[in-house]
Amino acid sequence: MSGSLHRIVYCSRNALAGSAASVSGEIRDILALSRANNRRDGITGALLYSGGVFAQVLEGRLDAIEGAFERIQRDPRHRDVTVLQIAPAGPRGFPDWSMAFAGDSAGRSDPATAARLAEALADPDAVGGEELLDLLRDLVVREDEWALAS
Amino acid sequence: MAALLDRATARRTRRAAPKARARRPVPTLPCLALDGLPQAVLVFDAKLRLLLGNAGLLGMLNVPPALLAGRPRLVEALAAGKRFSPEALRATEQVCAAAVARTDGVEETAHLDLANGLSIMLRLRRIGRCRWVAVFEDVTEFRATESRALALALTDPLTGLANRRVMRERLGTVLAAPSGREAAQAAVFCIDLDNFKPVNDTLGHPMGDALLRAIAGRLRAALRGDDLIARVGGDEFVVIQEAPGPEGGVDAVAARMVDLLGRPFILNGNLVNVGASIGYALSPADASDPDALLRCADLALYQAKAGGRRGYRRFTPEMEARARARRLLEQDLRKALALSQFELAYQPKVNLRSGRLAGFEALLRWRHPERGLISPGEFIPVCEEIGLIVPLGEWVLRTACLEAAGWPAGVAVAVNVSAPQFEEPRRLVGAIGGALARARLDPQRLEVEITESVLLRHGAATRDALHAIRRLGVRISMDDFGTGYSSLTQLQSFPFDRIKIDRSFVQNLLDSAESAAIVRAVAALGASLGIATTAEGVETEEQLARIRADGCTEVQGYLFSRPVGAAEIGALIASLGTAPTPRLPVEA
Repeated sequence: MSGSLHRIVYCSRNALAGSAASVSGEIRDILALSRANNRRDGITGALLYSGGVFAQVLEGRLDAIEGAFERIQRDPRHRDVTVLQIAPAGPRGFPDWSMAFAGDSAGRSDPATAARLAEALADPDAVGGEELLDLLRDLVVREDEWALAS
Repeated sequence: MAALLDRATARRTRRAAPKARARRPVPTLPCLALDGLPQAVLVFDAKLRLLLGNAGLLGMLNVPPALLAGRPRLVEALAAGKRFSPEALRATEQVCAAAVARTDGVEETAHLDLANGLSIMLRLRRIGRCRWVAVFEDVTEFRATESRALALALTDPLTGLANRRVMRERLGTVLAAPSGREAAQAAVFCIDLDNFKPVNDTLGHPMGDALLRAIAGRLRAALRGDDLIARVGGDEFVVIQEAPGPEGGVDAVAARMVDLLGRPFILNGNLVNVGASIGYALSPADASDPDALLRCADLALYQAKAGGRRGYRRFTPEMEARARARRLLEQDLRKALALSQFELAYQPKVNLRSGRLAGFEALLRWRHPERGLISPGEFIPVCEEIGLIVPLGEWVLRTACLEAAGWPAGVAVAVNVSAPQFEEPRRLVGAIGGALARARLDPQRLEVEITESVLLRHGAATRDALHAIRRLGVRISMDDFGTGYSSLTQLQSFPFDRIKIDRSFVQNLLDSAESAAIVRAVAALGASLGIATTAEGVETEEQLARIRADGCTEVQGYLFSRPVGAAEIGALIASLGTAPTPRLPVEA
């Protein structure tokens, strides 16, 4: 069971104080470390930061993503962690990203996304893991297109 | 080794028996036997000069053989072997000098760690008037085994955290160190998981073990490297933080632990939520003795748990006072039954159709010799905790039956029976039967009142006991109806004779549409199921009118009478039993 592909989707609230720039710096650090760890552990996924809320998808072997999740849980830079999904998964949603990123620190903010994330935190049953997964996939692809176009 | 020394000493003594021993040159000891020993053995004199050494000295300690002939100073010979550090040499010289100074023949010993990693046990003993033998034994292997065993004895094998013993010793050491007046010397945190048992029971022990290991990891992440974390029970932990800094900082540490332990865990595909409550105490402010400090932290933990879990509390002196009061209450309660300090008060229940007295509910009172009447809300929970509730419940049954036997034939008595009494169903049924027989009371006149919590515990066994009680001829009613979690389900699980509508609904009857609807619905439910309904806590005429209109069959409350002592019962029966419609409150 631990060998097959699983997915964890969670969201949490930013616990970082400081200016937008220092928060962006922290997020860059988080991403760099997470990408290095994930390449080593065969994990792919995406991180979204919007309106002070993180949403993250981790996909890979169950033991690997559980290990990554536990590392993330011990991080004081976020709080109010809400798990939206932990389940066996079909094909990877982010096969090409060790940790894709979409969010405010990329220079733009999307109020609709921020509002949906806030809802997910307030009531995990209202926003399912699947919806969040789609949201992230959509955003990451758009960012990617945007990056190619610019 | 001791045997060898003893033989050498004996030989020396025999030879020394003739008078002229002092001047005779020291004979060389036979070295053949010594060479076969695994230890390094040497003999030295009062000036710490090396007189003799065996093969081990050359091998294990690497002393050059050429040196031995010239009676070198012992430390110089050892230094030449290059196995001894300067400290080890100094230690050796000191212990040799100490052996020479001894006159009682007792062995001197020392532990030496050599440069090549060998661990040496050195023993020294006098073997003649001015001869001493030193034996160096390689104990490296032994000490390694010993330290492995020690590590095992000191850590919790599941989590790798320290165990209670180590925690207690560390706390002793920390508190023994001198401290300034201002700064806190140590903070002790007692941590208890809020929800561990259900996880362990439902997901299995391997998952429980994995959870405990993850908890240990989170605690390590929340704390400094030099904080001591110990697992001291199934799901209990203690953290000792030396020099914790200002108080706000200690709060922050506690908050961080509560935060990290309250976050979800994912274990083998299962989402697991536990949480932790923490109590902490500081030395020297709260206590400076290890046991007292631990107790303070534990009392604070108790308060944190009582305060709704997933939080932390710092110890306050009031907690100690409360605990002391609680201990006193416990001691007094244990004596109260024997000293006949309990008594029963009776509150009448009036039938709304006939307007006549239907019976009394027996209510327990404790008349404390110094404190006067103590409310059941204060002492019943303590009785349940200390196991006094069963004998006390039996006393209530016996007394209520005896007193009711003296009342007019139509007047019933209701007795509350609590959940712990149902844990021994046979004993309970026997006690009820015994109380009825002793009082020669018609079983129809006894009613047993239970709350929903009774049925929630041990459902099937409790239902069996209720049926057995019913077979005695006793009626059974459900008390405090509507306040539990699943009242209607419980109603289905046993054919109750009566439902008592909780006073909270009656009191809000006129102000709250919800309460009014509940009272009406329960009365209708009782009517259609053929179950009598009693409204409790009726205090006003308006409430009474409403309850009557809703169709309840019985009422109880201050409107008719407060609970009265056994002595006043006669008068109450006379006034209630004869009045066609009791309306006015009977005030004493």
